[in-house]
Amino acid sequence: MSQVLFLKGLMLGIALAFLLPILLPPGPRWRVPGGILLGLAAGLGIAASVPPGYLSYLVGFLTMASLYGLLALGLNTQWGYTGHLNFGVAGFFAVGAFTSALVTIEAPSGLAAQYTQVLFGLEMPFLVGVLAAALVSGVVALIVAVPVLRLRLDFLAIATIGVAEIIRLVFQNERWLANGPQPLRGIPQPGRCLFESRPCEWLPDSLAWVVEPLSTRDYTAFYLMVVAAFLALGYALIERACRSPWGRMLRAVRDEEASAAMNGKNVPFARIQAFVVGAMVMGVAGALYAHYTVAIDYSHFHALFGTFLVWIMLMLGGSGNHRGAILGAILVWGVWAGTAFLANALEPVLAAIHPELPGRAQYVRWLLVSLLLAAVVLFRPQGLLPEEMRVSNYLRGPRGR
Amino acid sequence: MPLLEAEGITAGYGDMEILHDVDLRVEEGEIVSLIGPNGAGKSTLMKTVFGLLRPRAGTILYRGRPIHGRKPHEIVTLGLCYVPQVANVFVTLTVEENLDMGGYLLDERELPRRRERVYDFFPKLRERRRQRAGKMSGGERQMVAMGSALMLEPDLLLLDEPSAGLSPRLVEEIFDNIRRINAAGLAVLMVEQNARKSLEMAHRGYVLANGANRQDGTGQALLADPDVARLYLGG
Amino acid sequence: MAVPDIRRGTAADDQRRPGERLRAVIRTRVFLLVSLVAVLVAMYLAGLAAGAGGLRLLALTAWGLMLGGVIALGSIGLSLVYGVMKFPNFSHGALVTLGAYVSFSVMHLLPPGSTLRPLSFGYEFLVALVVAMPVVGLVALAIDRVVYRRLRRTGAHLVFFAMASLAMAFFLRSLIYLIWGPDFHFYYPGQANPALQLPLGIRIRADQLFILALAFVLVGAVYGLLARTRLGKAMRATADNPDLAQIRGIDTERVIAWTWMLGGGLAAAGGVMYGLSSQLRPEMGFWLLLPMFAASIMGGIGNPQGALLAALIIGIAHQVSTSFLDPTYGPAVAFVLMVLTLLIRPQGLLGRTEG
Repeated sequence: MSQVLFLKGLMLGIALAFLLPILLPPGPRWRVPGGILLGLAAGLGIAASVPPGYLSYLVGFLTMASLYGLLALGLNTQWGYTGHLNFGVAGFFAVGAFTSALVTIEAPSGLAAQYTQVLFGLEMPFLVGVLAAALVSGVVALIVAVPVLRLRLDFLAIATIGVAEIIRLVFQNERWLANGPQPLRGIPQPGRCLFESRPCEWLPDSLAWVVEPLSTRDYTAFYLMVVAAFLALGYALIERACRSPWGRMLRAVRDEEASAAMNGKNVPFARIQAFVVGAMVMGVAGALYAHYTVAIDYSHFHALFGTFLVWIMLMLGGSGNHRGAILGAILVWGVWAGTAFLANALEPVLAAIHPELPGRAQYVRWLLVSLLLAAVVLFRPQGLLPEEMRVSNYLRGPRGR
Repeated sequence: MPLLEAEGITAGYGDMEILHDVDLRVEEGEIVSLIGPNGAGKSTLMKTVFGLLRPRAGTILYRGRPIHGRKPHEIVTLGLCYVPQVANVFVTLTVEENLDMGGYLLDERELPRRRERVYDFFPKLRERRRQRAGKMSGGERQMVAMGSALMLEPDLLLLDEPSAGLSPRLVEEIFDNIRRINAAGLAVLMVEQNARKSLEMAHRGYVLANGANRQDGTGQALLADPDVARLYLGG
Repeated sequence: MAVPDIRRGTAADDQRRPGERLRAVIRTRVFLLVSLVAVLVAMYLAGLAAGAGGLRLLALTAWGLMLGGVIALGSIGLSLVYGVMKFPNFSHGALVTLGAYVSFSVMHLLPPGSTLRPLSFGYEFLVALVVAMPVVGLVALAIDRVVYRRLRRTGAHLVFFAMASLAMAFFLRSLIYLIWGPDFHFYYPGQANPALQLPLGIRIRADQLFILALAFVLVGAVYGLLARTRLGKAMRATADNPDLAQIRGIDTERVIAWTWMLGGGLAAAGGVMYGLSSQLRPEMGFWLLLPMFAASIMGGIGNPQGALLAALIIGIAHQVSTSFLDPTYGPAVAFVLMVLTLLIRPQGLLGRTEG
């Protein structure tokens, strides 16, 4: 096994070591260490046995699935735990992406400034960008929440669609903000220098040989590791928060608002908190997306990708269950990716029906995914992993008995 | 042949079975009162008779014809009308429109005549025919609800807690109205919290407890029964 | 013992806290109308400040009325379905688009006739409209039978209806893309359509007047249906209290079927007229969705006259805002007016309070 292959396998393994403990069924003590070991072994094993093309496909797939996992996690905090019908996920996703991009890019100068206009380019490190994305998304959510969260459930859904649409319009029209309708390019990637011919300044010379054979083509595996780490961190924090008294209060507000209020809980404040926290997670997902694709524009934050897919993921996985949300994200992203192959396979059939149809094969994917959501709503509304009625960390749930 | 005859009714919601093997009979022109503690299944029995709930077992005959498993909008054509306990008027519609909805199944040309008969019965409603039902008091709403049920000139009226939430003066008025309706030849099957009053008025009564028949007999007999008095009439 | 009656008498009213009294004033429809007018006035002032002349603003107002006609046609059906079914039908926009495309295909099956001057279209366009309405109505009905009826039987929560309608929106949209492709279409491509010269320099196409007139006619028809006919009363009763409607002998499933037929048909009319006023695009219904929801809510859900009035206000606001904003912000203008309505008086301009 070559050094490059080993390193790639190791990076994939670390990413899987972050993901597997989340997905393994809760309960057994070996879940976390077992998941980590299994992940590392699987990563190295896959790298050793799979052709390189498939390996990079797998890495790309897992990166997007983990990004969507974060979005589903954020939505679950809003909908699954608090009952906010947010149909505007794409808006917070976009705010996070553009914020982190603006915080980290270099402000264009000279000739480039004529083609790319930005409000500012701060050249800050990646982590600062992600943090800023979370903060700005949270602030936007707060501004939206104060008037809108008081509304009836169905009005809230309509209003959040509107919010997402307006956010998209702003990024589409306002050239001075983030280059308007033109893509915003050159978003830096964390740790990319490790893969360049001249390694990072902070890397000790004694270790340079480790990364020396890596090329920029191999960077995606490193970024997968970053995204998986954020997902694991987000999952751990939110799962912990939701099992704390705070999470119990949110569920109480969702299910029995009046009795929650009578028990002295500040209901409006609790509802706003959950909405803001969820939006912050979505903002982080947006930031990670921006640094993944390097160039973003408003069209990436279409309701189909930004909102609709996330809802299918959460509904399929099981709302109110964070593990289900992440499982749903991986499954639905798998279906979405799989339908691409299906659409390709269908091309001859489509061509037989009408000569123009093969060019429209991508819409078959949308068709299938929309039917998937309808099927989930009709036949398994509680999702694959239904909500667990756990009272506290310290009490065994109904299943533990 | 009894007007209404239910035998061995078992019914409930979801996993919960509320009624177990309940029997009930109403003869032509009778007032029958259903009493029992909260949660005994009185309202559930009414809903099952009227087809809002499908019985899991048992038969319900109206004039000897089976009606169990049929939809409310079919049952209402046979001569039964039902006044639910809550949400029993269309709040966005006027009194007159509410009555018209009561006569939805009638020929349009027949409506004015029937409306007049209801107005003769409840003169207060004539004064307020243009008022929206949602703006009316509880007692007035009850009158609108009963009036709408009378539009089809049924033979049997099912009343679910007609006096619930009304002041004592209005309760008297409602009970008067029920007596007048009965005097016009209608049979009445009613659920009442106000057990003593309703048994005084009823020809016969049934005591339901935990979803099963406990006792039945004439109104006077039930009133005189020491067990019924102690358990359900407040001593 | 004397028990003070807090519900009776005017003296009790004065004992309310000032905050409650203020809220009672804010929640009136007069206050809502005043606020909406205030926003409109602010928009005119912003237009003037941005350098638009009085005549220009007048022309924008006239165009706003025309745009309001298109929005109104789309919103009547949405409002009707919302009122009876009690859930926001997110697939209404897709039904609007479908109507436009169905009539487009039907029109091309017919031999082209001469243009009905000064309008830009011939008889075949009107025939296509009349065919598209029931076709889309049947599509809406079929979706109800397959999807929503199942949910009704299980007594599903509103959220699942909304979610299913979102799924159906994307389903219909993909179908439209598959059948008609992503390209723009015109009913009469390349045909010049001169505007009529009205006084004060207002230029309006005869088509636009036709659309506005059609909006008024259809609103009148739906109003008549709801107020006078047996079906209309049954629809109002079902919207008010579906359980009681059943008890009163109304076959609510039949009423719901008719509601979808009507809602789908009206959506088709909206789509055809929207297509006539601009062009046919697969995204046209999605673009119209926010203004349509805004008009239904602002007018009062289930109230066709209200939807028309609100649509005209939204149309004017939309056009006037172009004097100081990029025109693509149109949906945002509708959105702001909608949120204003929801905060002041969620029942809308002509909607009724319960009780």
